[in-house]
Amino acid sequence: MHGYIKTGNSQPAWLFPFIVVVVLFLSVLPLARLAMVGIAAFASGGVIDVLSEASLWSATYYTVVTAILGTIISLVIGCLFAFLLTLTDIRAKGLLSFFFVLPMMIPPQVTALAWVQMSGPSSPLLKALHIAPPLGSPQPLYSVGGIALLYGVQHAPLVYLALRAGLMTLPRDGVEAARLSGASSLRVFRDIILPLSLPGIIAGAAISFVSCTGNFGIPAIVGIPASIFTLPTLIFTKFSAFTSRTFGDVAVLSAIIAIISVVGLMIQDRALRGRDYRVIGLSGASAAFELGAWRLVFTPLVWAILFFMLAAPFFALVAGALVPAYGVPLTFKTMSLHAFEEILFRQAVTRTAFINSLSLAGATALCLLVVTVLAAYALTRRKDAASRIVASLIEIPYSLPGIVMAVCFILVFAAPIPILHVSLYGTIWIILIAYFSSFFAVSLKPVVSAFHQLDPALEEAARLSGAGFFRRLADIIVPLIAPAAGASVILVFLIACNELTISALLWSAGTQTLGVAIYNLDDSGSSDLASALSVLVVLMVVVLMLLLELLAKRLPKGVIPWRG
Amino acid sequence: MKTIVSAAALLAASLFAIPASAANLVLYTSQPNEDAQATVDGFMAANPDIKVDWVRDGTPKIMAKLQAEIQAGNPVADILLIADMVTLERLKEDGKLLAYKSPESAGYDAALYDADGYYYSTKLITTGIMYNTSAAMKPASWKDLTKPEAKGLVTMPSPLASGAALIHAQTLAAVPGLGWDFYKSLAENGAIAAGGNGAVLKSVASGEKAYGMVVDYMPIREKAKGAPVEFVFPSEGVSAVTEPVGILASTKNADAAKKFVDYVLSEKGQEGFLKLGYIPARNGMKLPEGFPARDTIKVLPIKAAEALKNTDQDLKTFSGIYGSN
Repeated sequence: MHGYIKTGNSQPAWLFPFIVVVVLFLSVLPLARLAMVGIAAFASGGVIDVLSEASLWSATYYTVVTAILGTIISLVIGCLFAFLLTLTDIRAKGLLSFFFVLPMMIPPQVTALAWVQMSGPSSPLLKALHIAPPLGSPQPLYSVGGIALLYGVQHAPLVYLALRAGLMTLPRDGVEAARLSGASSLRVFRDIILPLSLPGIIAGAAISFVSCTGNFGIPAIVGIPASIFTLPTLIFTKFSAFTSRTFGDVAVLSAIIAIISVVGLMIQDRALRGRDYRVIGLSGASAAFELGAWRLVFTPLVWAILFFMLAAPFFALVAGALVPAYGVPLTFKTMSLHAFEEILFRQAVTRTAFINSLSLAGATALCLLVVTVLAAYALTRRKDAASRIVASLIEIPYSLPGIVMAVCFILVFAAPIPILHVSLYGTIWIILIAYFSSFFAVSLKPVVSAFHQLDPALEEAARLSGAGFFRRLADIIVPLIAPAAGASVILVFLIACNELTISALLWSAGTQTLGVAIYNLDDSGSSDLASALSVLVVLMVVVLMLLLELLAKRLPKGVIPWRG
Repeated sequence: MKTIVSAAALLAASLFAIPASAANLVLYTSQPNEDAQATVDGFMAANPDIKVDWVRDGTPKIMAKLQAEIQAGNPVADILLIADMVTLERLKEDGKLLAYKSPESAGYDAALYDADGYYYSTKLITTGIMYNTSAAMKPASWKDLTKPEAKGLVTMPSPLASGAALIHAQTLAAVPGLGWDFYKSLAENGAIAAGGNGAVLKSVASGEKAYGMVVDYMPIREKAKGAPVEFVFPSEGVSAVTEPVGILASTKNADAAKKFVDYVLSEKGQEGFLKLGYIPARNGMKLPEGFPARDTIKVLPIKAAEALKNTDQDLKTFSGIYGSN
């Protein structure tokens, strides 16, 4: 983008200020409130105490190490699937893709629970095979490697979706031209596909890294038992021992997480610099490669990975829901439906949590999309310092663990809102606003990358022919970014549906989310109920995805992320 | 595209059209979900005109939530039913509780409720040792957990997540011959402290650990369901919390809240706790299945006022021994 479009006349004057106001409300206000508390802690000298705590530095170390390892694992798995399912003629692509995206819908704490149940001394699976480790064996997942592995599994679909969106728009003509000139498959991959897909890979890595640093569910379940604390779990434990110093301590801890995330994002920015590839139109390079004999290697490989990511943990969950008590081997004799009965017919929280999570996730995804499209337009068309600042401000709430954002919003909305005299605290609205703030970046990413790949000439032509802003939006931009917009809505919906860390602090009587309900059930020692509810959540997600699958014919091409 | 957007808007609108359930009583409790639901169901059956919404979390977390709400000037809870009298004593001193002289208190030992009627104990929950039946050693005393046979096999709840665990640590710390040194030697023996009592139950029943400090009803109840666990009341004695009930001064439903207090103290409410496997606090009640006779259980004393004063220091001491958890 060299300044041959004057920003002033290519977008309406209200657009950028509008985005700035939204960002001020969602990012700056809550963080400023937290910063004030942090500065007050500084002034009272509390910061020295926090910074001198060994636990803080070990948590920082573990956060960085697990996030880097987790990102590497998610990149390996995510890229493998993205390339195989987008560019080759591997069989049952639709099914594979559907299954591969599914684990992302499973809340991280459920993933962690399922893996723990799958692999420990009490694993019904291993017990049935008589290969369960002896009593007191350390659970292998309670380690840095365990946390990283689960991060990788949890975030691989994020990498896959980010990369796939880019791969779908690869110029087929480029590949064909290379082919006709006699280039080998490897050569085509190395010289055309890989360079063009790098932005997608880098974006995927950044999303994954940021998600790892802020993840709470996984280190809470597999880290705490081994006394491995990451910054989010350290913050959580600080909160459960509420003292006058808590807010100040948390402000400092949050600042460290923010720094880690921002460093990660700066590396992404550097990596993306000068890689602004724009290609015309949508010409998916489907099946650019024929696998031939390699099929025998890749087909079992991807199915095996899926079995471990999806099938085995799911069966472990079902088994966990069916055992009558802990440690009882699961057989047809001991099987009990008690947990499902309790969850479906007795626990009032089940219905509440389903309604809350679905409405929160739906409202968050749709409302954000409207703002996101406008914001992406404004941010990609303006290349000035102001827009870069706004872009990083949008990133910050997502890079912070949900628990920090939750605290910010408690501080902001603790007192009744002036003039209106309503108190949002303890209502569902405070969760919704915190979701807007936290998932803005998630919603924005795919849309921005789509804008980056738009050829400005198209819109330019419309503008020169006198089409107004909304006309250009409706006729040119929206159809072209529809796939990314769809991906954005679905991503946000899924993430919000399974969210735990924000709602863990903001929920109240009657506003429990599914994440809270599951974590809370497990926390009280009813992991059979937690597993039963998790099974229902997974089934609900599958039903939702199948509904989208049925609608696929009516939606613009590419709206459903797992479809070719 | 337009149709999709409007359909989406309709969908969003319809999701919000579902009215939030209007509750007229909100209970904050640290009982496990099934027990909380059963308690609430029992109360609502006895008082069909009152609807109760409830929230469950570990006592420290519930308190953190409540403190935040009180600071926000918008406490949601009407009633608390949480681990220990020390916590409620603190709330009473802060003027956060409502005094109510329940007629049911006649059936209770005077030591089990606040003379001014700010809170009433509802059960007796002791903390002892549970072990996995495949464990090599059968522990009989707290000291047994520091033996080499138990190296790396002991787990306990963290006082940061469980109110009972805090009282337990404070109780044992005051016992001559145990004290904080006992906790130090446990830590040297590879014991870990993480999460609440539920986590301990899971960890021992599943065989990840062999021994755990835990509240009595959990393993006793699970054993009845067939889990491979046993529970012992150690020879030195057990700590106890009494899960008191109290009404918040800020309640807008004082009458309904008083009915709730009367219900959990009444014979019928206490029967309900008995069925769930708790030792009822009310005089003349039976003990649940699987418990030894009540007079054989040696309950260690705790000085509430001192415990209250030392809470922050004790949490620090504990964290110092067990890392930040």
